[in-house]
Amino acid sequence: MNIAQINLTIAQMLDYTMPILFAALCGVLSENAGVVNIGLDGIMRFGAFFGLLGAFFSHSPWIGLLFGIAIGCLVGALHAFITIRWNGDQTVSGVAINVIAVGLMTYLLEFVFSTTGYSPQIQNYFGAQAYRVHLPFLAKIPLLGAFSNLSFMIWFGFICTVLMHVLLYHTVLGLRIRTCGENPKAATTLGINVFRIRWFAVVAGAALAGIGGATLSISSFSGFSDSMPNGVGFIGLAAMIFGKWTPFGALGAALLFGTGQIVQSIIAVTGIAPKLAPGLTLILPYVLTLAVLAGFVGKSIAPAADGLPYYKEQR
Amino acid sequence: MKALEVRNISKMFPGNLANDNISFSVEKGEIFAIVGENGAGKSTLMNIIYGIYTPSGGDILVNENEVNIRSVEDAIKLRMGMVHQEFMLIPRFTVTQNIVIGDEPHKGIFLDYGRAVREVRELSERVSLTVDATALAGDLPVGVQQRIEILKVLRRGAEILIFDEPTAVLTPEETVELFVTMRKLQAEGKTILFISHKLKEVMEIADRIAVLRRGKLQGIVNKKDTNEEELARMMVGRNVVLEIPKIDVEVGAVAFACHDLHVRNNRGYEAVKGMSFDVHGGEIVGIAGVQGNGQDELVNAMIGFSHPVSGSMELNGKNMRMVTTAQLRKEGMSYITEDRARRGLVMPYTVRENSVMGQHLDRPFSRGIRMDYDKIGEFAEGKVKEYDIRPGDVYDTAGSLSGGNQQKLILARELSMPHNFLIASQPTRGLDVGATEFVYRKLLEEKKAGKAILLISLELSEILGLSDRILVMFEGRIVGETTPDKTTEEALGLLMLGVGIDEKVQS
Repeated sequence: MNIAQINLTIAQMLDYTMPILFAALCGVLSENAGVVNIGLDGIMRFGAFFGLLGAFFSHSPWIGLLFGIAIGCLVGALHAFITIRWNGDQTVSGVAINVIAVGLMTYLLEFVFSTTGYSPQIQNYFGAQAYRVHLPFLAKIPLLGAFSNLSFMIWFGFICTVLMHVLLYHTVLGLRIRTCGENPKAATTLGINVFRIRWFAVVAGAALAGIGGATLSISSFSGFSDSMPNGVGFIGLAAMIFGKWTPFGALGAALLFGTGQIVQSIIAVTGIAPKLAPGLTLILPYVLTLAVLAGFVGKSIAPAADGLPYYKEQR
Repeated sequence: MKALEVRNISKMFPGNLANDNISFSVEKGEIFAIVGENGAGKSTLMNIIYGIYTPSGGDILVNENEVNIRSVEDAIKLRMGMVHQEFMLIPRFTVTQNIVIGDEPHKGIFLDYGRAVREVRELSERVSLTVDATALAGDLPVGVQQRIEILKVLRRGAEILIFDEPTAVLTPEETVELFVTMRKLQAEGKTILFISHKLKEVMEIADRIAVLRRGKLQGIVNKKDTNEEELARMMVGRNVVLEIPKIDVEVGAVAFACHDLHVRNNRGYEAVKGMSFDVHGGEIVGIAGVQGNGQDELVNAMIGFSHPVSGSMELNGKNMRMVTTAQLRKEGMSYITEDRARRGLVMPYTVRENSVMGQHLDRPFSRGIRMDYDKIGEFAEGKVKEYDIRPGDVYDTAGSLSGGNQQKLILARELSMPHNFLIASQPTRGLDVGATEFVYRKLLEEKKAGKAILLISLELSEILGLSDRILVMFEGRIVGETTPDKTTEEALGLLMLGVGIDEKVQS
């Protein structure tokens, strides 16, 4: 492989990484406030379809991105309403969102575009040359050259990671979010409105999952496919756990899993190891996650009140 | 001036009137105690004053102005602060983070952690409550964690401080320290509400005392004009025998014996370092010691939760070193635990189910794989009557009972199993006087029936009152053996702290 090929491979790897990263960041925010959101795979599917829808009709990926954010917030609000307002079971609500997403998007795809399997391709997507972030001064430097011509969404993913880190660990709001995830009762006794904070974290987190979905359909690819997000949301959850519920940890894990995916496609395309079934490389993220949960790769501990509904007047 | 006044406060929980028309007022600079049995409504009342619960009716006045407290934020604004019974700490946060949450020093939206640490250090110095501002809260001992709670409240500028059962988790020495702090706060003009069911402590620290019983205010008395007996009578509604009667029983054969027992704790350190003792039938052997000196590990080994590293353990002459809990029970061991929630009962299960656990696989309660719920129900009904477990419905979940009634349920189960050796680990922890009296009576009945009893307790009065022999445990070893008539609380207290061990007190 020459330099250009290596750069291309790295850029592709980042294309795989970003949807995983957005999903993981959704989980990091939501779960640090104490709400588990396994519906994020479904929210990504919503985001992927509506992102494409917005971009398709407006001919602008920016509108598509806004659509992705908006639908993410909306579905997130549904999850928040069920789990925070009514103390519904967080796992059940998440599973329901995933199931709804599968059926509803398939239906909408046929209803809106009268096609099955794939939406029409769009020209104006973040992966198109016109929408890439050009940094020509990097092009000549080995390896960094890969970063000279990336989709906006990839840079946006890095930015969101840094912002999330600052939010959680350096702001007042972040301390309060983490308090709600560790001990909501303590938060109440300090005059913090647990419900409001959890609403914010779930909805803002879901917006990120929506962005992750839109990244698939209007950045990594230029259209919606009925198989999206293809389990990326669950890999994102795995990345969140692997990254120990921290933004940078999630980024590291997402990069690792993204690399796994690119290795898999290299194997598939070049036929280096034809006997290695593609399914085997697909399970890599999950094997790593199980290893982390079992404590083989350093302990990963969830926020203490993660997944627990909060009743203020419970005795 | 009246710092706080409540008028006709009521609180209805589904099926339960927790506070019934309660009125009282507290003077500024006063230490005002509220006593009552568990479930009398003390904590509910405090949670109302502090804005966590919404009252069903009544008014609250602060500094003689009527106020509307609808949330904790409101209470904090009125300069109230509460030190909760279960600490409201986040173990993974630093001391500073724990203290500043909710009112953080900040620059814009950013947390100014440096300034927060400085503020915490200044405050801790000013009120002389020493804490390490940058340590993780979870790594600190309970007494220090409580200091964090107090600092948290003081930092918010609290003038009225509510202490909800603050001594429940403290060792005797930590309690003394806490009282020094409370007096210091009083001297600074703070008003203190002290919730407790420990009458001795209330008589020591309070100026005036309000007594609650089943949600109703029974009366308010001056400390000077009352005594423990009167308070106990008001709390329970009848005369309570606080003195433990001495009974003499002929000592029988050795039931339990261990020799040179070594036990590791769950982190792999040796916590019991060579203990040897025996317990005879018709005898209560008390183990005194400050919490964390190996008592938990000793009990775990004795009930088969962990296996000793070395040494011998015998029950009724049979080797019991590497056996399971089930085998120990079959051989005649019963176990009363202080940890009712995690070890004693299955809280979501009913009284009926809990009453037979441990013998649920034996006839008549089950045949093969089928449980005979008619027989279990009959048995449970009988026990509920015999032990006066209230409210008395065998279909209630164990979790819905008060602490005292939960303990009665545990006693009912453990004492009705065939046994001749009873381990009672802090059997009255968290219980009010009425339930404590009941536990004492049952233990003495057991002794009279010739059972061998090992009593582990942090309460010296309990050890001195019940035991026939006392073993003092310090850092995993027995550092002294004595009898109640040859020692005092003070002498035991010193031994428990490891003072004068070199001379090895022998009686």
